[in-house]
Amino acid sequence: MRSPLGYLAVRSARNRIMRQVRRLRKPRYAIALLLGAAYLWAVSARHGPSPGGPPDISPAAVELLAAVGVTLILLYTWLFGSDRRALAFSRAEVTWLFPAPVTRAQLIRYKLLRGQFVVLFNVLLWTFLLSRDLAEEPWRRAAAIWILLTTLTLHRLGAALLKASLWEHGATAVRTRAVSLTVLGGVALLALVDASQAMPALRQGWEAGPRLFLLAAEEYATRPIPHALLFPARVLVRPMLAGGWSEWVRELLPALAVLVAHYLWVIRSDAAFEETAAAAALARSRPQSPAKRAPRFTARPVPPLAVQGWPAGALLWKNLVSVLRAGRVRSVAAGMAVAALALLGLSLGDSNGTVLEIVGWMTMMWAGFLFVLGPQWIRNDLRTDLARLALLRSYPLRGAAVVGAETAGSTVVLTALQLGLVALAWIAFWGGGVDEPPTAVRTAVLAGAAVLLPGVNFLAMLIQNGAVILLPGWVNPGSDRPIGVEALGHNMLIISGFLLILAALLAAPAAAAAGVLFGLRSLGWWAAAPAALAGLLLMALEARVLLTRLGRVYEATDPATVPAAELP
Amino acid sequence: MIEAEGLQKVYGDIVAVQDLTFRVDPGEVIGLVGPNGAGKTTTLHCLSGITIPTRGRVRIAGYDLATDAVAAKSALAFVPDEPHLFEYLTVEEHLRFVARLYQVEDVEARLPGVLRELELDDRRGSLPEELSRGMKQKLAIACALIHAPRALLLDEPLTGLDPVGIRRMKATILDHARSGAAVILSSHLLHLVEEICSRVLIMRRGRVLAFGTIEDIVASRPELAGLRLEDVFLGLVGQEGVEER
Repeated sequence: MRSPLGYLAVRSARNRIMRQVRRLRKPRYAIALLLGAAYLWAVSARHGPSPGGPPDISPAAVELLAAVGVTLILLYTWLFGSDRRALAFSRAEVTWLFPAPVTRAQLIRYKLLRGQFVVLFNVLLWTFLLSRDLAEEPWRRAAAIWILLTTLTLHRLGAALLKASLWEHGATAVRTRAVSLTVLGGVALLALVDASQAMPALRQGWEAGPRLFLLAAEEYATRPIPHALLFPARVLVRPMLAGGWSEWVRELLPALAVLVAHYLWVIRSDAAFEETAAAAALARSRPQSPAKRAPRFTARPVPPLAVQGWPAGALLWKNLVSVLRAGRVRSVAAGMAVAALALLGLSLGDSNGTVLEIVGWMTMMWAGFLFVLGPQWIRNDLRTDLARLALLRSYPLRGAAVVGAETAGSTVVLTALQLGLVALAWIAFWGGGVDEPPTAVRTAVLAGAAVLLPGVNFLAMLIQNGAVILLPGWVNPGSDRPIGVEALGHNMLIISGFLLILAALLAAPAAAAAGVLFGLRSLGWWAAAPAALAGLLLMALEARVLLTRLGRVYEATDPATVPAAELP
Repeated sequence: MIEAEGLQKVYGDIVAVQDLTFRVDPGEVIGLVGPNGAGKTTTLHCLSGITIPTRGRVRIAGYDLATDAVAAKSALAFVPDEPHLFEYLTVEEHLRFVARLYQVEDVEARLPGVLRELELDDRRGSLPEELSRGMKQKLAIACALIHAPRALLLDEPLTGLDPVGIRRMKATILDHARSGAAVILSSHLLHLVEEICSRVLIMRRGRVLAFGTIEDIVASRPELAGLRLEDVFLGLVGQEGVEER
């Protein structure tokens, strides 16, 4: 191969695949792969021809919904997308490639080529997952998904470069892009005005049911501004929805044009790519020079560690300190405190009860989301400490104690967050003439959550930490979560597996609690206490068995065989 | 004391350490030397309980590392070549954290001495990212010393230290040995090994090439008589070792 960067990208991908294939010699990886494949097969089999004829939604509505989804992803990229992740280069790449005689365009092409490994994996995954709803031949479906995912990757990189350039060059960059920024701002303003005008019709549709809402949305999407805003996204999703071969070819060409336009935009970007990417890479790998970036942690006072006590308690304390000293957590805590005060003020005052009710249900919904997604997001446990596995292994602690203490760290944080949200909901439902659900029921829910959530969350976090020990090569180590459309499919697989195992673990405690509740039904609501106790006892038993098993696996794990167990 | 008996570590087809048997008595400082890839770090990992040996036995202060790991690990400290610190704990909190892990009862009494010895007293409230490479290394060593281990395993402990720091570190290691600890020191700095180690264990490709005092090693190889450790080392590992260096 003539290009050294191409050689690097291809060989890296090849070696990565070979490493994963070699890992299959270990039974646990082979079993996990079989389970994953079985899941995909089940999903695609379930997605056979749908019984009862065509689905109850028009192709135009499907296209609109897909286009809105893609547009929202693009909007998210601009508003909240992480430049650090989009411009990620490893330290080795920065060290070897940036001083090398290669052009900026070559570096960007290398980055794109390297990203194709992930894109192709996701093309495969989504081709299976969306097998019912899209074009019939798998290769056509795969090509359409590839165009969409590659364009989204390019868009994320382009947005990151542009934002980095604006940040880097400040007022000069704003001046040079004054016209485009003014047009962009004007379009955003017009879109807002247009949307506000269309709101009554949309609301009317919403109240009349999903079908009429979709019709109202389709009607709204034909107006010039939403039509123009959604057009690029429509172009990108149409090949996926094309019925026949000729239609697919017809829709493919405009989508390819959007892809090429994105490629040219990224390649011709005048951002200081190397500097920005180097800074991003260094920030990712915790540089030696703290002056160039804001610190990730600040040494603010924390509750001191008691001199004596359970030795592994030091690990739990350490993991809680890692959360207390992270800037993000302070923002979340401050946000929740402000929200609580605002809700309290609204509840006590003569405010609109509907608003409080909506806020209350949304808060409860977030608490529910956290039940599923919290164990993926909150990672102050073995997942963060995997890079220090050798150090952990040198401590005079039993494996079960290490796993237990590490798991407790993220359990405490998740539980505190969920209880905070439930408490906010309690306040929201309190005043404004709502008091619905009634105070007694809300208080029972809050108390029940306080009793049961620690046990449930511990089991959930134990599954996550168990995965780190059993399948370290498949778990993203560190505090960063994989994000983006590419990561979505992979995450779906992981979350599905997690939920299945959690459901299996909670089945027996739930059955025990239900049994006690039924047996003591003559006591009325008072039976809830012994029922919860029975459930908790079974959860504790399960946790103990799991901890013992995982502790043994931890004690047998050699840090040298764990790829992620290396500090950057 | 540290005892290794028939120690072997195999990774797939690679034999990282093979049939290693030796003993380090209290008060002794053993130098572990060898070319890159000789198996020094793997040996230290096996001795510290980080890695489980494929075969053989390790005893630390009389405790078998395989059957009584917690007691054995309580008696030892391992300082890796890269200081692995927690970026959210301050210098003092690192020491308190380790003290709790090792159940150090008189941590309040020991803390000032360790901080002073390693010149960290004025940085006790600093996070690791505010420290230089050398200061981080000192903190890693302070964490190892806070619980007064009876077995001390050091992997390239002087990396990143300035000349003053190196001199102090040598004194610290010797003081610790004098107080009754068994010390194993892995280093490429052969003059340092020659200066502070009572015996030397030379490894190549996972095997022991020589073990003993420099005089003992030279006595068994008359052609090396009168040479310094560096020349003895080069003479033993041969041309291959010279290239690797």
